[in-house]
Amino acid sequence: MTELSCSYGDDRDEVIVAFLYDDPDVSLAERSRFETHLLTCARCQTDVAALRGVRAQLARWSPPEPTFGTGNPHSNPQFTPHSALHNPQWWRAIPVWAQVAAALLFLGVSAGIANLNIHYDQSGLTVRTGWSNRAEPLKAGVSGSTEVARGASPVADAPWRADIAALEQQLKSEIRATQASTTGAAPAAKSVAATASDADVIRRFRTLVEESEKRQQRELALRVAELARDVTAQRQADLVKIDRTLGVVQNNVGIEVMKNRQQINQMDLLYRASQRQ
Amino acid sequence: MTWTDEELVAKSIRGDADSFNELVLRWERPIYALAYRTIGREEDARDVCQETFLRAFRALPGFRGQAKFSSWLYRIALNLCRDWIRRERRAPVVQPPEDVDLIELAAAAEPSESIEDLVARKDLSRLVEKAMTLLPEEQRTAIVLKEYHGLTFQEIAELVGCPLSTVKTRLYQGLIVLRRELAKNSKATL
Repeated sequence: MTELSCSYGDDRDEVIVAFLYDDPDVSLAERSRFETHLLTCARCQTDVAALRGVRAQLARWSPPEPTFGTGNPHSNPQFTPHSALHNPQWWRAIPVWAQVAAALLFLGVSAGIANLNIHYDQSGLTVRTGWSNRAEPLKAGVSGSTEVARGASPVADAPWRADIAALEQQLKSEIRATQASTTGAAPAAKSVAATASDADVIRRFRTLVEESEKRQQRELALRVAELARDVTAQRQADLVKIDRTLGVVQNNVGIEVMKNRQQINQMDLLYRASQRQ
Repeated sequence: MTWTDEELVAKSIRGDADSFNELVLRWERPIYALAYRTIGREEDARDVCQETFLRAFRALPGFRGQAKFSSWLYRIALNLCRDWIRRERRAPVVQPPEDVDLIELAAAAEPSESIEDLVARKDLSRLVEKAMTLLPEEQRTAIVLKEYHGLTFQEIAELVGCPLSTVKTRLYQGLIVLRRELAKNSKATL
């Protein structure tokens, strides 16, 4: 290969860069001096053309799109830079885990209210309300056996069932105690005792209901989490399959495209060469 | 009404939180792009960008406007990138792109762009990213600041703290390396 020589001077590299980027700080005289040189110097012509090509290629490189979300005051009126800057995650979108946790909490509460029974298996996704399931043990022909019915129905296994039973027992005993105390006591004492007893029962009832609700929510959130995990695993497996298939397709297409581009470039070069001649 | 950076800085110093918000909105993408092209990792580039604004916010009362606000931000970001590179004790690595996701590709396609053009564009972008990782940090920084952020040679020289002629030489040498690498990679792809 023939080595082309250039006699421009020591600052040739700098001048080429200034010429390439159209540096406004370069004087007109200096620029025209290089342009005159360029007309007769094959090496500089080659370099300038090649570096212009590199610049054109550089222009095609764009970084991946970042996720700017919570830092945007237009999308979040509560945003203040001060609070944001004290939060290490301030500018990113809400992390995926937080979104999942929020979704699970929401679903858990909703499902708790509806007493949902969600199941995901080979036959697909099944969502049922627990209330509508209460009659199932009878359908199965196991009437009269509470234990068997519990095994057959997820509703029967619900933690609130035991709580309700305990509450029922407690209320019965309270009522019996109240009735017994009212038979032998004075009317004034009866009234005071009844009021205190009612308040106590209501308080205990509330406590039990709250505990029961919390347990239900936890259990349902757990179920939803299991479901989400199963769905994610299945989705990832599917995506891997799709990726493999598409990877092959993309490689083939990419090779074809690069070949075509190369041919076009060669034709372009030939065309330019013929134009010069 | 559009405020200049300097006006927003002055208002921020006086305690106007919305003004700093506006500055963040205005500059977060360029700073992220600078960080990404310098260190080559998406996640870390986001961290650098976040840290840049955090430091800027803290140092804002001391900013006297000797330089442009953007130059000041660029300097903070570049210092953080440099720290990151030192901390990692290795050459910056651009995330190896996985097989192109065609769904993502289709979403990224320009309306008039065919899928072939899009694939070619992605391939070229990947080649450029790969070639950029081979450059020494100084050359890469000079090219990124000039090519993608449009800074003048003088601004780059002030930012990186070297003579004007050195900036031009670094750019020239960097472009020459890229020219060689891109030609090599193009041939290898065929």
